[in-house]
Amino acid sequence: MSSKRHSILPPAPAGSKPPIHFSSSITIADSALLTGTHPIAIHSESVVHPRARLDSLAGRITVGRRCVVHERASLGAVVGTSGRITEAAVTLGDYVIVEVGAAIEAGETVIGEGTVVGVGARVGAGAVVGKHCTLTPHTEIAAGEVVPDFTVVYSNGMRRTDKRGAAELRNKGLARQIDVLRRMIPSNPAKFA
Amino acid sequence: MAAPTPYTYIQCPCSDVSTLSHPSDPNSPTGTEADEDDRTFDPRAPRSNYSLYPLEYLLYCEDCHQIRCPRCVAEEIVTYYCPNCLFEVPSSNLKSEGNRCTRSCFQCPVCIGPLAVTSVETKPDPRLLAPDNIAAPHSGPYALTCSYCHWSSTEVGIQFEKPNSIHAQLAKLRNGGTTRLTAKERKERRRDPAHRSATTEGEESGEQEDLDLETQFANLKAFYQNQLADPNSADSGLAALGDLGFSSPTSLSRIMSIYTGGSLQDKKAKSRVGAMREALEPDEGLQVANLDESAAIEQLQSEGHDGTACTAQRVDQPPHLGEEHLHGRGRFTSELRPIPYLLRTKRSKRCPICRHIISKPEAKVQTTRFRIRLVAGSYIPSIAIRPLSLSNGGGSASGAAAVPGALLDPLRPTHYLLTFKNPIFETIKVTLGAPSKTPGRFASKVTVLCPDFEIDANTDVWDEALKEGGGGGGGGGERDRERERRRRKREEGSQSNNNHNQLEVGKIWERGRNWVSIVVEVVPASLRVEAGDGPLREDEDVLEIPMFVRVEWEGEAGGDEVGSVPTRDRDTREKRELAYWCVLGLGRIRQS
Repeated sequence: MSSKRHSILPPAPAGSKPPIHFSSSITIADSALLTGTHPIAIHSESVVHPRARLDSLAGRITVGRRCVVHERASLGAVVGTSGRITEAAVTLGDYVIVEVGAAIEAGETVIGEGTVVGVGARVGAGAVVGKHCTLTPHTEIAAGEVVPDFTVVYSNGMRRTDKRGAAELRNKGLARQIDVLRRMIPSNPAKFA
Repeated sequence: MAAPTPYTYIQCPCSDVSTLSHPSDPNSPTGTEADEDDRTFDPRAPRSNYSLYPLEYLLYCEDCHQIRCPRCVAEEIVTYYCPNCLFEVPSSNLKSEGNRCTRSCFQCPVCIGPLAVTSVETKPDPRLLAPDNIAAPHSGPYALTCSYCHWSSTEVGIQFEKPNSIHAQLAKLRNGGTTRLTAKERKERRRDPAHRSATTEGEESGEQEDLDLETQFANLKAFYQNQLADPNSADSGLAALGDLGFSSPTSLSRIMSIYTGGSLQDKKAKSRVGAMREALEPDEGLQVANLDESAAIEQLQSEGHDGTACTAQRVDQPPHLGEEHLHGRGRFTSELRPIPYLLRTKRSKRCPICRHIISKPEAKVQTTRFRIRLVAGSYIPSIAIRPLSLSNGGGSASGAAAVPGALLDPLRPTHYLLTFKNPIFETIKVTLGAPSKTPGRFASKVTVLCPDFEIDANTDVWDEALKEGGGGGGGGGERDRERERRRRKREEGSQSNNNHNQLEVGKIWERGRNWVSIVVEVVPASLRVEAGDGPLREDEDVLEIPMFVRVEWEGEAGGDEVGSVPTRDRDTREKRELAYWCVLGLGRIRQS
């Protein structure tokens, strides 16, 4: 928790607007930050909160259907070696929630369908997180790690398998949440075009 | 003792052997000093770790006039409560139901997060229903779920019928969902002849029931009590002899031993043994050890390491009477059960000597206030340490010490300002004693420039406020202004030299309303290890000064000032004194 709230607006936009492929049904806030040079694709009914940061400098960013990217979440955060990686994509499956302040680093990183990336969690470059996983707040997934489906990563890296079988239920809940968010967040996809 | 430097720790006198032998005796000052000269308190001694406390941790007994630390108070439990639902549990329930919450408060056995009761059934999608779906009942089996690690009691096969009184429902459920009988039900069932015949038939058919711990104990107890009541009832041989009309079986066996031998001897011996035989059936509490561990091995192979419970998880498990017998029990996560919350207590603290209450919390669980709380901070002076840097260089420079947390330069005189603040409503006289060299392998030199001084009483807060405000005109009144003038005069008298920031032995550095600053000169030791000595041990570079503080004041019995220390009802002023060791931690010495 930082007490001070720094502006994360880029110092100079420099006109590097990334090419975008937006579905017509997405909700993207005016103050979301889309930078980079590679294409950013956001599929239907996904929601991008204000001040979420999508940086496609290292590679293309693909956000699946009915995903929610929360405030200050960062997709495709530039890794230290970003200059050398030529193609370093970030791919979110469907029904993925990236919570406040979470960071998903670029480098062929894949987040599987129905996974929740908790508050302040960090997914390293090249990690592959399976389907319906839960990364609890402040979890760190090392670069290149592979997390199997239905894994819950909790309390400093302990892991267990989610046996609730509540994926269906969760997806329904998320759909309802997106319904609400769509009404709450004024969408302005035209700004990024 | 790695703490943010500088720090002050106070030694509770309870750990001091000498004060234990003669507690709170009004020794003559010379006597105490002579005593203390031979025995300097060593903050590095292993025992010191247990007796040094920050001022905030200490309490004070008004009747014994002594500091009390958390180790030397007698505690009494005021209330028991559940930390989750804040329900106050009567102590009578505690005896019957144990020290855990018996409502629906549970912790996750995997991650100890709080569990919530949720419906297992998928809630029907509201969009697919008619608009009057508000009345749709939220029903179906319920489970406990953890919202953090997503553990659910369905994983161990436990589901509940009702969303309330989970504790009672859980007591009747085994892991896997099979029900178990509670002790009461079992007793009733045993009494019921119809049921008994049914169960015996079932057992005869070869199906042996696995006893859990509680059942086994109950069976064993019943069996042995039965045996003690009439030792021969079980034995068929003696039962036949009982028909002869002898009333007492023991007298019978004695007679038999007199008259018979041979074959009957044999029988008698058997009957003796039979008088206290061991349990032979599950009904009597016999549980054959199940040494076949193939099932556990199989489970281990299929689930792997993830399927086993870790030590912490097993330790957190409450003792559960319904669990299976120890033999053949694996250590798998599937055997974990929801943990009912442990109750917590609110405690009042008493002085161990005079039994007066020195801390008593409000009995109500929701309030965090205290009814009585005699903290030491409002009775003994607080000591604040500040490095002193002399800007106009009075001969000794102290560069590094000006920055807090910086390392101290060895063999370089450094000055520290000790500010004593008087919290009580009397003028106190403070006498300090510090060894000229700190104990330990690396002895630093310490000089207290003014070891003897007086601190003014902690009078009205308004005095200072008005003084700081500059005006002091309005509310103070004639009396306050007069008092202030008096103090000013006194300050000027004692401070005339200090205006020039000169260090002078025997002079107070600065004085305020209820505080006094004095200067301590320290020459940190060099940490050069001699050839023969061992290497530098942990925290040996920390410069800690033991200091003996003696506070004297005149207690007033009348108490005309608000909040003055209430004393025994005598009108005379009595002299009081309090003496204790404290440790001033100044920081680490730079290693050369």
